[in-house]
Amino acid sequence: MKEVITLAHGSGGRKTSELIGEIFRKNLGNEYFTADDAAVLPRPEGRIAMSTDGFIVSPWKYPGGNIGRLAVCGTVNDLACMGAKPLYLTCSYIIEEGLPIEDLELIAKTMGETAREAGVNIVAGDTKVAGKGQVDKIFITTAGVGVIGEGINTSGKFAKPGDKIIVTGDVGRHGTAILLARDEYGIEADVTSDCAPLWEPVRRALEVCPEMHVIRDATRGGVGTVLYEIADEAGVGIRVDRTSVPVAPEVSGVTGLLGLEPLYLACEGRMVMICPAEKAQAVVDVLKGTKYTEGATIIGEVTEDETGRVVMTTEVGGQTYLPKPGNELLPRIC
Amino acid sequence: MCVGLAAKIISVKDGVAMVDCTGAKREISAELLDDLEPGDYVMVHAGCAIAKITDDDKSETEKVLKENLA
Amino acid sequence: MTSINSTADMRNFLETYDGPSVRIMEVCGTHTHEIFRQGIRRFLSPKINLISGPGCPVCVTPAAYIDEAVYLALEKGCTLTTFGDLVRVPGNVKSLQQARAEGGKVKIVYSPIDAEKYAKDHPEEQVVFLSVGFETTTPSDVIAVKNAVRDGLDNFSLLTANKTMPGAYEAMASSTDAYLYPGHVHAIIGTKLCRDLAERGVSGTIAGFTGDELLAALAVTVKNVSEGKPFFVNAYPRVVTDEGSPAAVALVDKFMKSCDAEWRGIGVIPDSGVELRDEYAAYDARKKYSVPKMEFERKTACKCGIVLQGKILPSECPLFGKACNPDHPVGACMVSDEGACSAFYMYGGQS
Repeated sequence: MKEVITLAHGSGGRKTSELIGEIFRKNLGNEYFTADDAAVLPRPEGRIAMSTDGFIVSPWKYPGGNIGRLAVCGTVNDLACMGAKPLYLTCSYIIEEGLPIEDLELIAKTMGETAREAGVNIVAGDTKVAGKGQVDKIFITTAGVGVIGEGINTSGKFAKPGDKIIVTGDVGRHGTAILLARDEYGIEADVTSDCAPLWEPVRRALEVCPEMHVIRDATRGGVGTVLYEIADEAGVGIRVDRTSVPVAPEVSGVTGLLGLEPLYLACEGRMVMICPAEKAQAVVDVLKGTKYTEGATIIGEVTEDETGRVVMTTEVGGQTYLPKPGNELLPRIC
Repeated sequence: MCVGLAAKIISVKDGVAMVDCTGAKREISAELLDDLEPGDYVMVHAGCAIAKITDDDKSETEKVLKENLA
Repeated sequence: MTSINSTADMRNFLETYDGPSVRIMEVCGTHTHEIFRQGIRRFLSPKINLISGPGCPVCVTPAAYIDEAVYLALEKGCTLTTFGDLVRVPGNVKSLQQARAEGGKVKIVYSPIDAEKYAKDHPEEQVVFLSVGFETTTPSDVIAVKNAVRDGLDNFSLLTANKTMPGAYEAMASSTDAYLYPGHVHAIIGTKLCRDLAERGVSGTIAGFTGDELLAALAVTVKNVSEGKPFFVNAYPRVVTDEGSPAAVALVDKFMKSCDAEWRGIGVIPDSGVELRDEYAAYDARKKYSVPKMEFERKTACKCGIVLQGKILPSECPLFGKACNPDHPVGACMVSDEGACSAFYMYGGQS
């Protein structure tokens, strides 16, 4: 019989210690990983960025990753958006009683691998076990600290008319992969999640364009939601050429069958970057040569008019608004 | 009212076809259309092939314009 | 006229048209949606008026239908299977989304054929498919029933509100100079009806759904209307043939019969719907569960009815964008992405 997590694993006693030792320390351990109540860390030079995010995903495992990779990438990418090199992460697990231990081990192993890939140390953690039905298998919350490069100042409110808008790869991949993994609509397609740690491409982009205005991680609401957020925060308009938005053919097929808008499907490894026009091509060029951002391309520009709106230039040369983000995504058939 | 998508027939058997829409595959009903063969293109709506497609939209549009607006 | 043979030429023609005013009614929600999505309204000459007629099956489905579905979910414990479009439509009492929050089982499916499969795999559940749609969708509904008969299921039925277009074409003819006929409806029923209508003075063009297909159909329509003679053009010949799909028509006829149907906001149009024949009453949820007549009529200032008839623009409704928006739809036209009001709202109210 498969060994499973029981309430005893969360009691703070021997079983908890075993779990920490055999699963977490083994997979996540590094020189800063603490056995005490808090990690003690060297102070980085410069301004620090700090972020936290909770992760719930059903199913927890999907083509291209699992919730462990998501939990590391999500926070690492949030830090990278501020131009911060990720240094330390903490992670807190809420595990449903009955989760097979081998599943937890796979998640921890993936987190360790992803953290090493992202160049970040997981320094502290917490484990709680919740009764059956109180959580959906496993929820993970991570928090992270990073150090911001000198002279780097990015924020949604810095988008300026004339700036170019770059997306670092094809959109809607993660959302489509999850939708397919749930297997509710009988569709099969070779789509893997784009989930990836993006500090390295961000670092390189900042090298060629330290005056970068905005970097934003397109997660659950997709690129469309990010564009509306920026238009709103900066009080500008955004114009996107729909024919230049990269969408994988398989993603197009799935969204076509179900009547969904790829710009509103989740990404987990895509950044929207906004920079002065004269630097845009150099940024795209460096991204194209970097792992996870090979598909980077310019999709549009920031405008002075149409404040707070995202205007799409269409296939027939018309102009229309991108519908505002909103409701639950429901397949539209009739 | 009727979102349709062009898809290519991969296989067909007993009124059920497997179709491919640029890499997204799904089983659909093919019982409204006779003589479907792998490689044919059909219009799919709500899980059913409703029509065989005989052309692409570009050359169709060219013909329509030529016949009506020349 | 200089010849028109590219996307840019078509756009230029539609942008600069300066002949007699032309009213064109689209009677297909997907056309409404795509016309907005392509930004076509924005560049049309002011001499060309597009009217979004009753072409979205969700929008023309009466509120009482949602009440019936809610009754089946909450009072009869049925599992509702439905297209996603219907989930947020307000009934007189509540929407399916609210019914789901109260414990009703509502499952979104891609196809009625999948709903039948679900019923087959879940014999312990009573599965009802919410059968809305026009001629394009009805064959899939019928195939689901046919499969249920084949599989000997006694836990699958349809709550029908299927509509047919011909009655609506007649009923709305005075509101427009020409129809943009729904391509996929005519893929099923063929083109004879359109030719007959043209002989009776009702004009129209069958249109496809890509940007080029829509521009071509609009350009052809404008030119023909401006010439003043009744006409019919099939501008979607790669999918629509003259005979349509006789197999689909025959299959539907075997299981369904014509009936009068209520169109939300318009009223009852004779012979504008189909329902299951008496032999298949066991698959008719209304009969199977003796669904009572739903009679709570909620009074609102919603003008969906005359919006659907093309008499006012969505933005001329007093509730538009205020009490009624996609987060809190009052009328059905604000619910479906294909509804005229929702499309106006989402795409910024361009007219």
